[in-house]
Amino acid sequence: MDYGIHLLILICIYTILAQGLNIPFGVGHLFNLAHVAVYAVGAYTTALFSTELGIGFWGCIYSSMAIAGLFSLFIGGISLKLSHDYFAIGTIAFSSVISALLINWKSVTRGVLGIPGIPRPELFGIDFYENSNFLVLVAVAMVIVQFVLYVFLRNSYGRTLRAQSEYEQGALSLAKNTVRARTVSFLISSCAAGLAGSFYAYYINYIDPSSFSLVEMIFVLTIVVVGKPGSFWGITASTAFLVLLPEPLRFIDIPPSILGPMRQMLYSLILFGVVWWKKETLFPVERTV
Amino acid sequence: MTMLQVSDLTFKIGSTQILNGVDFTIEAGETVGIIGPNGSGKTTLFNCLSGFHIPSGGAIVYQDKSITKMKPYRRAELGIGRVFQNFAVFKEMTVSENIVTALESRMSPWKTFFPWSKQNKINKQKALEYLKEVGLEEKAEDKAGSLSGGQMRLLEIIRTLAFGAELFLLDEPTAGVSPKMKEDVANLIKLLMKEGKTIIVIEHDINFIHKFCKRIIVLDVGRVVLDDTPENIRTSPVLQEVYFGNGKAANG
Repeated sequence: MDYGIHLLILICIYTILAQGLNIPFGVGHLFNLAHVAVYAVGAYTTALFSTELGIGFWGCIYSSMAIAGLFSLFIGGISLKLSHDYFAIGTIAFSSVISALLINWKSVTRGVLGIPGIPRPELFGIDFYENSNFLVLVAVAMVIVQFVLYVFLRNSYGRTLRAQSEYEQGALSLAKNTVRARTVSFLISSCAAGLAGSFYAYYINYIDPSSFSLVEMIFVLTIVVVGKPGSFWGITASTAFLVLLPEPLRFIDIPPSILGPMRQMLYSLILFGVVWWKKETLFPVERTV
Repeated sequence: MTMLQVSDLTFKIGSTQILNGVDFTIEAGETVGIIGPNGSGKTTLFNCLSGFHIPSGGAIVYQDKSITKMKPYRRAELGIGRVFQNFAVFKEMTVSENIVTALESRMSPWKTFFPWSKQNKINKQKALEYLKEVGLEEKAEDKAGSLSGGQMRLLEIIRTLAFGAELFLLDEPTAGVSPKMKEDVANLIKLLMKEGKTIIVIEHDINFIHKFCKRIIVLDVGRVVLDDTPENIRTSPVLQEVYFGNGKAANG
């Protein structure tokens, strides 16, 4: 039972994270590889604010979202001037900067030791140390995030983002401010990542840099690619599918030192397989004037 | 009223001079054709007008406003609509979404913020009316990528009308269009004329342009070499020289 609740909590957190990435990457075709770095910023903000400053739940989730959002404006302000492949390179450079900071800025992040003892929130007199209560909390957050992202995906803003991903000059000719649309997509996705990071820190109670590596980025990328970039329910379904997929491996007698790498290989193979199999339709060919 | 004034416009990529001082004035409500051999700078001129290229010299004045260095989306806001040579319809969207996207450009985003807002229903209804004009209403829910070349062209032009453009820049509207549908494109251009829109059209097919243009500008090596009525252009020795070469002006 506890194990089931643990998996459901993970599904909720990853759904927030993956739906967030889907806006710039899936809809806007911006190859944002800094998503997990922003997720780390959210997690560390909550970890530091709650352990060092004793700030409560609401303060922490809002500051995680706000700081992640500000951070994304910084990345976006620089990287969004780059086009296509260079944008991907720019974001990967930023995520390396974050990894290096997390490991080496020891006076703040405690480096590879990580930050332990993040207290679970207590709200409305309910103790969220109980996992089943925490599940309700994170599920409510997931529903709210999904609702907001659904609105953005299906309204005029979503159409602008789709238009610019298909034919930038065409969108510009219809008076669409494409740079602003991309920046907003970045901002929305980073707030979602910040929130997911905050919940992750609260749930695990302990964070260290290894949770926010490139491996994690590949996992989130796999979720979006398998769920079909730009779709909505597809992402939610593929999150559940991919979080649960390697779980049966636990019941086979494999030492943990092999199990970890096996999961990573599994995800990488799935990502490669889907990209190979769907290469024609995953992203339509770019067009220029 | 003067719609567009282009004076001494130059543009170069590296050391190659593409436009060599282009001058012309377009009055509101005029329909003007631009012809010229390949490489004469027609599309580059359009890109300078819609802002995808920033000219290296000269000035562009649109409705008494200097737009020489303005961003493309700002020019579009002012009412400059562009129809591209290589189909700028959003192929992954449905046909009606293409029109709705254009309609939304002039609206406050809050009106269409929620997917279930009333304005979205109104826009969808309006989109259907526009599609009826070009006989595409039955395709409204199909992906725009499934349309034929001619249908895509019609969609793109009617989308620009729905957007509310005043000046239409049509870059080879018959390129990739079947001969049968060229007539439909011509009829749509005539509809734009009836609505009082100002139209500049690049075209290779002088017979097609003749159907509605009372004035034709001939470009060669980045310069305006002729600016006259179609009748005078046809008989002009300069045109022969530009297209078939007569010694010095020869340029593919």
